[in-house]
Amino acid sequence: MLSISMEEDEFFGEKTFQRFCAEFIKHSRQIGDGWEWRTSKDCSEGYMCKTYFQIKPGTVVSYLGTSAHVQTCLPTEEALELPLDDFEVTETTTGSEVIKYEYHVLYSCSYQVPVLYFRASFLDGRPLALKDIWEGIHECYKTQMLQEPWDTITQQEHPILGQPFFVLHPCKTNEFMTPVLKDSQKINSLRC
Amino acid sequence: MTDDKDVLRDVWFGRIPTCFTLYQDEITEREAEPYYLLLPRVSYLTLVTDKVKKHFQKVMRQEDISEIWFEYEGTPLKWHYPIGLLFDLLASSSALPWNITVHFKSFPEKDLLHCPSKDAIEAHFMSCVKEADALKHKSQVINEMQKKDHKQLWMGLQNDRFDQFWAINRKLMEYPAEENGFRFIPFRIYQTTTERPFMQKLFRPVAADGQLHTLGDLLKEVCPSAIAPEDGEKKNQVMIHGIEPMLETPLQWLSEHLSYPDNFLHISIIPQPTD
Repeated sequence: MLSISMEEDEFFGEKTFQRFCAEFIKHSRQIGDGWEWRTSKDCSEGYMCKTYFQIKPGTVVSYLGTSAHVQTCLPTEEALELPLDDFEVTETTTGSEVIKYEYHVLYSCSYQVPVLYFRASFLDGRPLALKDIWEGIHECYKTQMLQEPWDTITQQEHPILGQPFFVLHPCKTNEFMTPVLKDSQKINSLRC
Repeated sequence: MTDDKDVLRDVWFGRIPTCFTLYQDEITEREAEPYYLLLPRVSYLTLVTDKVKKHFQKVMRQEDISEIWFEYEGTPLKWHYPIGLLFDLLASSSALPWNITVHFKSFPEKDLLHCPSKDAIEAHFMSCVKEADALKHKSQVINEMQKKDHKQLWMGLQNDRFDQFWAINRKLMEYPAEENGFRFIPFRIYQTTTERPFMQKLFRPVAADGQLHTLGDLLKEVCPSAIAPEDGEKKNQVMIHGIEPMLETPLQWLSEHLSYPDNFLHISIIPQPTD
């Protein structure tokens, strides 16, 4: 993770962040990953943003056979496994929905780290609630997060747009990134 | 000469006379009388309005009630902003009492944060206190405190206990003997005319030559359009806790004495009222 020295660099923290973002976005464009740069109206600050659509499978209920109850986990998609029965099975998929995720990466001058802001809504504009977000957290973070939910993901006002977003608390940026970085290092080292 | 500590009390005990009226489209079983309350400037709407909620819920059916929210002249009020800030920014040029409309339906999801419980208010408050200390002391003071000290800050605010609060908060207002102030000043500047909710930047209380920076220095750097040119007409008021401090006031002093309990200076820039 970016660790920016707190000495005389603090005034350049924002500039360093913007430099790293420019590189990140350049790479994102090369791999078609969808990240863009946006500036605030007065152009003094900016942030990275990405919109992502996920089809959330609804609950699948089968009649005349064993019922297959599938719990889905945001934002990963696990393959749905349905039992193949000899019985005739009637399946209804209820409420298959598209969820729109917006991710924003801003720089916090107070903590000298990037901060992840995000919001999720259905296509009709209905937002997902905080408890939906807490419930949908990936398994590897769930235990840790449930111990101190209020210190981890909370709803906050976006400092540039002024609208409600969910935020991964800046103190947790490093903590949450470490396992991700460890995994990617493992993958990279296996390639040799 | 007033003791500086008296300023701390005056800030803490500031009140705004408010009249709460139920939104006319809410469904009631009988007429809802307005409810009058003195709101603490330093607290948060959802922390101090339990009585308001109970009063209006008495005349409504259970099924017509969902999350309470407040609005002033069509603007939804952000519960996570201190009450005094909301008043100074939106209503200080109008006559008292402050007329707030109460809603129980159609929560404005795009404008307001939800406030599901007192825990949410505590989490928000403590998050601000921690951010302020990150700026003042690289989080050293707040991290050295025990959980019970953090709890005491919150309980002091929640129960309107000045002494209980300041027993702990005074430690957040100290700085090393060899320095002349905090590392950076926790502040936010609000203007209704801008799209951004507020301005916040890194700003030192002391200049390189050792001179104390003033409120005027801060504004010149962060929000130059707020102050009038020297020979020009004064366009705006710079307001904190309902008063206009002199622009020559040292920022370090303001931070120690006029911060809100979250340890931030919340500064409103409002148009000069035309009498």
